[in-house]
Amino acid sequence: MENNIRIENINAFYGDCQVLKNITLNIPEKQITAIIGPSGCGKSTMLRCFNRLIDLVEAATYNGNIFIGGMNILSKSVDVNDVRRKVGLLPQKPTPFPMSIYDNVAYGLKIHGTKDKNILNEKVEHYLRVAGLWEEVKDRLKSPASKLSIGQQQRLCLARGLAVEPDIILCDEPTSALDPVSAQHIEQQLIKLKKDYTIVIVTHNIHQAMRTADYVAHLYLGELVEYGPAKEVFENPKDERTKAYIDGTFLSDLNTNTEIVSKGKRFLKHPDKRQISAGVIA
Amino acid sequence: MNRDMEEKLVKSLMILSLAIVVSSFFAVLVVIVWKGFPGLTLSMITKTPQGDFYLGGGGGILNAIVGSLYLGLASTAIAMVISVPASLSLQKEYLGKTKAAFYIRLALDVLWGIPSIVYGAFGFIVMIYMGLGVSLLNGIIILTMLQLPVMIRAMEEVIVMVPAELKEASYTLGANRTDTTFGVVFRQALPGLVTAVLLAFSRGIGDAASVLFTAGYTDRLPESLFEPVASLPLAVFFQLGMPYPEVQARAYTSALILLLIVLALSIASRYLEKRFRKNILR
Repeated sequence: MENNIRIENINAFYGDCQVLKNITLNIPEKQITAIIGPSGCGKSTMLRCFNRLIDLVEAATYNGNIFIGGMNILSKSVDVNDVRRKVGLLPQKPTPFPMSIYDNVAYGLKIHGTKDKNILNEKVEHYLRVAGLWEEVKDRLKSPASKLSIGQQQRLCLARGLAVEPDIILCDEPTSALDPVSAQHIEQQLIKLKKDYTIVIVTHNIHQAMRTADYVAHLYLGELVEYGPAKEVFENPKDERTKAYIDGTFLSDLNTNTEIVSKGKRFLKHPDKRQISAGVIA
Repeated sequence: MNRDMEEKLVKSLMILSLAIVVSSFFAVLVVIVWKGFPGLTLSMITKTPQGDFYLGGGGGILNAIVGSLYLGLASTAIAMVISVPASLSLQKEYLGKTKAAFYIRLALDVLWGIPSIVYGAFGFIVMIYMGLGVSLLNGIIILTMLQLPVMIRAMEEVIVMVPAELKEASYTLGANRTDTTFGVVFRQALPGLVTAVLLAFSRGIGDAASVLFTAGYTDRLPESLFEPVASLPLAVFFQLGMPYPEVQARAYTSALILLLIVLALSIASRYLEKRFRKNILR
């Protein structure tokens, strides 16, 4: 089955505020595509369209088509739970469930009907290995996930997401809450995973995009200003705004942007402690 | 005023407030223990009242201890079974911010504030209407009603605190509302729910006015749901009303026993809370 994401004419609104403006984009399968851009440009919103998490945001509306493996996931007749099972999300901040390490990974399997203990054990081990966490936790699978370090928690979230066997992994700034070593760990896992999964990573961190991405999309104020292979975009950007963003000479424009940032964030109800400027420079 | 003085003033005001709280608690405790402890004999807690008990004769208040435990535990159990789904239904995903939810919350807040004698009077009417008679069952029904608003509102406050990110993490795995509510939200809220149950139980077991008309009072141990039953608050009330000092002293012993029951349950619930909390982050 094809697992590319074909996005056609996507518009998204929070109330009256348009956050995505007629975006058309084709994300290739089994590659890492990075979505970069300053705060409030609609990166997270776009990601939320891919797994219909945007349905949970009050006052959010959208139109357009997103085809994953030939199925239009924005169609009303599609079961959102099936979409979300196929499209995993690694959140910005690790969110381990209030249960043991084992149960965290088994949670998704159980809700989708796996009851056999042997299969559960096997899959939990498998996905903890894939996420690069098995060796660290194999002797304490029954202890609470809350006792893990933050970097380990994020890898646990990765294992938990992989366990429901998605075809696509979305990452919403997956390392911004982590220390550099843990962040590197996650990046390495993602690079390993791209042979089996289509990965979309939203990041503030240009260097992270350079290190990991095969393709790069630059969003600016809800518009897709540039999209192409990472090498081309970084070495030879066609759009002036992309060039400025990559060079870090973008700060003067941020003031005009702040209003939209605050409006968007309020709707998303995501506490965001990052400094705007720090995020851009990093 | 300089900032140093300000610090000292605020700090001393805080300490004063704490001192008032702690000293009132100790005042109650000292009086009850001092007056009630001498009467805390084995026969007091293992025997029912003899014929001349209320004139200073032999026997104990086993009838009231057993009655109160039946009334308190049964009504708390029933209230818990109703309150958990009721409070979960007030989440954003279900009733949430609808008008209905607003009026339900308002009704619960008013019910919380209604004096228990009003519940007693209401229970009296229900009793006559249903042909129940003064009975254990009737007492349990009214005490359940008395506990419901406390329990539901206290539980709801805890459930509201469950981080949105945690729910989203569950939805991204393809979980539906039911999976998320019982698999994640309930578990995350569990320690707080225990506290809510204890709060309601204390209100139920300590209430005299609502059981006065509905459960009645008897010197015998209850043998069925349809017989009247004694309770500790009423044991305190009746004995304190007698003109004999030795009977009045037993009123304090009864109060001390009630206090010990609540204390024992508080310790048990603290232990449970701690066990549940170890799974929870932050």
